[in-house]
Amino acid sequence: MISRAFLFVVVTLYTVFAAGPFVWVATMSVRTTTEISLDHYAWPQIWHWEKFPIAWFKSNYQVYFQNSLVVVVAAVIVLTVIGSMAAHCLARYRFRANRLLYFIIFSAIIFPPQITIISMFQILVQYGLYNSLPGLTLVYIAIQLPLTVYILESFFARIPADLFDAARMDGYSEWEIFWKVSLPIALPAISTTIILNFILLWNEFLYAVVLITDEAKRTLPLGIQRFIGDTMYDVGMIATGLMIAIIPVVLIYAFFSEKLIQGMTAGAVK
Amino acid sequence: MVTARADRQPWGAIIAFLLPAFTVYTGLTAYPVLRTFWNSFHKVLPRSEEFLGLANYTALAQDDIFWRAVLNTFTWACISPLVEVGIALLLALALYARIPGARFFRVAWFTPVLMSYVVVGIVWAWMYNYDWGAVNALLRFLGLGNFVQAWIGDPKIALPSLIFVTSWMWAGFNMVVLLAALHSLPSEVIEAAELDNCGWGAKLWHIIIPLVKPTLLNLLVLSFIGKMKIFDLVWITTQGGPLWSTETVSTYVYKRAFEWTSFDLGYPSTIAAVWFVFVLAAVLTLTWLFRQRDKLEY
Amino acid sequence: MRILKIVFSLLLLAFASSAMAQVKLTFWSHWAAEKIKRDYVEDAIRRFEAANPGVKIEAQWYEKTALYASLKTALRAGTAPDIFYAEPDQFEYMENGLLLDLSPVNWAAVEPWAKEIWSYKGKPYGMPLEAATVELYYNKKTLADLGVKVPSNLQLDAAGMTDLVKRARAKNITPMSIGVGDRPYPGAYLAHEALLKKLGVKEYDDLLKGKLSWSDTRVTDTLNVVRGWTAAGLLPTTFTTLKLGESHLYFHTNPGAATMLIGSWYPSRAFNPVDQGGQPKDFPLGIMKFPSIPGAVCNECRTLSVGGSYVANAATKHPKEAIAFLNSFANPAAAARWLENVLVQTGIKADYSKVGGPHAGYFKELGATSEGAKFYFGQPIQVMQGKPKEVFTQVFNNAFPAGTISVEDAVKQMNAAYK
Repeated sequence: MISRAFLFVVVTLYTVFAAGPFVWVATMSVRTTTEISLDHYAWPQIWHWEKFPIAWFKSNYQVYFQNSLVVVVAAVIVLTVIGSMAAHCLARYRFRANRLLYFIIFSAIIFPPQITIISMFQILVQYGLYNSLPGLTLVYIAIQLPLTVYILESFFARIPADLFDAARMDGYSEWEIFWKVSLPIALPAISTTIILNFILLWNEFLYAVVLITDEAKRTLPLGIQRFIGDTMYDVGMIATGLMIAIIPVVLIYAFFSEKLIQGMTAGAVK
Repeated sequence: MVTARADRQPWGAIIAFLLPAFTVYTGLTAYPVLRTFWNSFHKVLPRSEEFLGLANYTALAQDDIFWRAVLNTFTWACISPLVEVGIALLLALALYARIPGARFFRVAWFTPVLMSYVVVGIVWAWMYNYDWGAVNALLRFLGLGNFVQAWIGDPKIALPSLIFVTSWMWAGFNMVVLLAALHSLPSEVIEAAELDNCGWGAKLWHIIIPLVKPTLLNLLVLSFIGKMKIFDLVWITTQGGPLWSTETVSTYVYKRAFEWTSFDLGYPSTIAAVWFVFVLAAVLTLTWLFRQRDKLEY
Repeated sequence: MRILKIVFSLLLLAFASSAMAQVKLTFWSHWAAEKIKRDYVEDAIRRFEAANPGVKIEAQWYEKTALYASLKTALRAGTAPDIFYAEPDQFEYMENGLLLDLSPVNWAAVEPWAKEIWSYKGKPYGMPLEAATVELYYNKKTLADLGVKVPSNLQLDAAGMTDLVKRARAKNITPMSIGVGDRPYPGAYLAHEALLKKLGVKEYDDLLKGKLSWSDTRVTDTLNVVRGWTAAGLLPTTFTTLKLGESHLYFHTNPGAATMLIGSWYPSRAFNPVDQGGQPKDFPLGIMKFPSIPGAVCNECRTLSVGGSYVANAATKHPKEAIAFLNSFANPAAAARWLENVLVQTGIKADYSKVGGPHAGYFKELGATSEGAKFYFGQPIQVMQGKPKEVFTQVFNNAFPAGTISVEDAVKQMNAAYK
């Protein structure tokens, strides 16, 4: 019989292991590089909060943050709209091509990004969308679409059919059924996909690094690289930059953790 | 039950609902895949494209950097899921045993998943630093200074070091899913086992694991797929070095496409095409395997 | 009459606006963190704009890796700048016709070997602004403390080098600072400078181009000499992850090394102000030659390579202005300014003995190490391409100096790479 106390110790140790690095970065983000090189693990003596404004204004983090925000918010909005439309349709209407179409979209979840990245590059160049935020937004919509449809479809499918029959008998049009019946009920799943897409796209790196080269259009993950410069390996400033990147995600998680976990587990648990 | 009378299907609405999503899909997923395959048969330069037939494919078969990358990525994709899910199961069981503060732990353990691979890569590059990184500092602190290594500088241990990092990252996610699965188990079965005075080990092996097996298998497949795609972490920490010990297929594709002294996009497309087939085959095999085992149980 | 007035004022307007019509050239360059080089180029831009009103140059400064990545994709996408930084190892630009033919430039003012390095199919494509040798910088005080005496010909022999390594390690000082965290060539200096001396210019060239087997006993003997140094603890423990900029700090500031093997563009970072990564005031800097190799054919051979150069985009809309700007570098006065301020050699013809300014002393010491030298033009990674280049980089820049690959394996991999 494993004692509770022993479990507790193990669990606490693991927590240090899991959250430790994150706490370390947080402490470093308010110390200067000189202080850090003297003792890497000391608790901050002086809390250099001014590093955050410095990173934000002087090192262009403001720009990167804005770009990330614009691209990700736009992508998530479009994803939610077109994803739920497609999911609703695939879940509720029976027609011969239904399962085939569903499979086509669903299978794309497995696709490794390499299979599309090179030709995405060529396509965007061809249409003048290379190195542009709209181009990146389109790509982001495309890469998250399969997962969005997958999660939403399984949720939409669980809505009892009587609701739809009743609505139809009340004379609702197809669009109204979608808008007024499906969506409100599916709100938990939709908020899950919103949070999930937000987190995944906020942290997205590969496509951004290939498709954006202009300093002014960089997103946050690319911006962090900026501090990994040549002469001054500015550990302190990098840590500050990392915190700026992590904070929005942590905030969203803190507020929506329950919903997020419910949603993520709903698909994976059988 | 949705009415299935074909003539009553509101085709207009169906098409309207599906059109936006499928347009995006066709233009930015399906078409690029086809184009990559097309590229793979050509030498694709900025000003010209030359048909090469199977020349890229034959070159690929002899490319030992590619095969090394395949080996590395496969190893990663096979080992990491086992570690992540294994640890996750133990953690989930610990929380399931209702220790105090379970809620807090659940939240804390999930945080690594939220961080971008860029953040994780930078933090762990610091952790693995030979002189002042946390790993070596801890070893020295515990008097184990002899075990101090250049974790990501030594070709023999660079890959395991990175696998460790992804396990650190994803154990929390798997734990959360498993915990939910455990909570959704019918409690009568667990209680019955308690009454039967089963030891903890037996309870675990004979009852709990079979009950959560579908979830376990799902997580293993999900993790496998994720590791087959891995790029960001390697790129930020080792860029595939030292001596190709951490070279993954995605870093190799990126290098051939954007870093070698050549503008040719055909060869990297070949790598991508072959890898695509590999991944599909692997996933199909896995799901088939797991479904077989599922069937055997019931 | 009124109509005439209107027409006249319209003409005046058109004339004025065309005079105001500015030609704007976009310009991307490396050296964002290297103050003295950046200052030189920005000064050159100002002089050019003053001499050519109506032409404006818009400069964007990058770190090298970021620059190369951006250029690669921008060139493919057709959004590349008019003028940009390049190094002669980038054959792919010329192979794909992406560079403007620079024949109209005043090549009489440029060293012929520098022009040759940038020539492809008989036409020149780059303005070779920077040239550099590989130098062994050392801390005079540290060496004196260690009891190591630098001979009057400025060249230790191989045994002397081993001795230096042992003495430094005995006092817990890193003998040589090199970092390959973000560059594909510094680690390889050890191997290729040694091989060049052992084999001489012609056979070294054969070796790099795959015409001489790497299993040749002269090659393996030389590599074993280098292995002797690295095994005795020549390099920092963080060698594989130490970045180029950090390796400078490692040498002159913290923790301090006895020597540093680096290109002669060392001053570009080291002579920055101290708070921008420069060496401490009054740092006792010395320069010596790479150690001699036993049984070498040419101990006075050294590598001279063209480094940072500027090229023009073949698709530029303003070829005349672009060429005019590049031409503005090709004259002795500009070269003299480069030497005096940047303190690195140049591919443009210049009188090295006339260099004045506050760092003239340094320049004389630099010249001393190249006295009587025979040059091989080009670094290995500028001369090699494709698979051999990749393997050479992985093996000789990273693994071999770090000691994670044996001489036999290294040689085997190189031979296999040429097949």
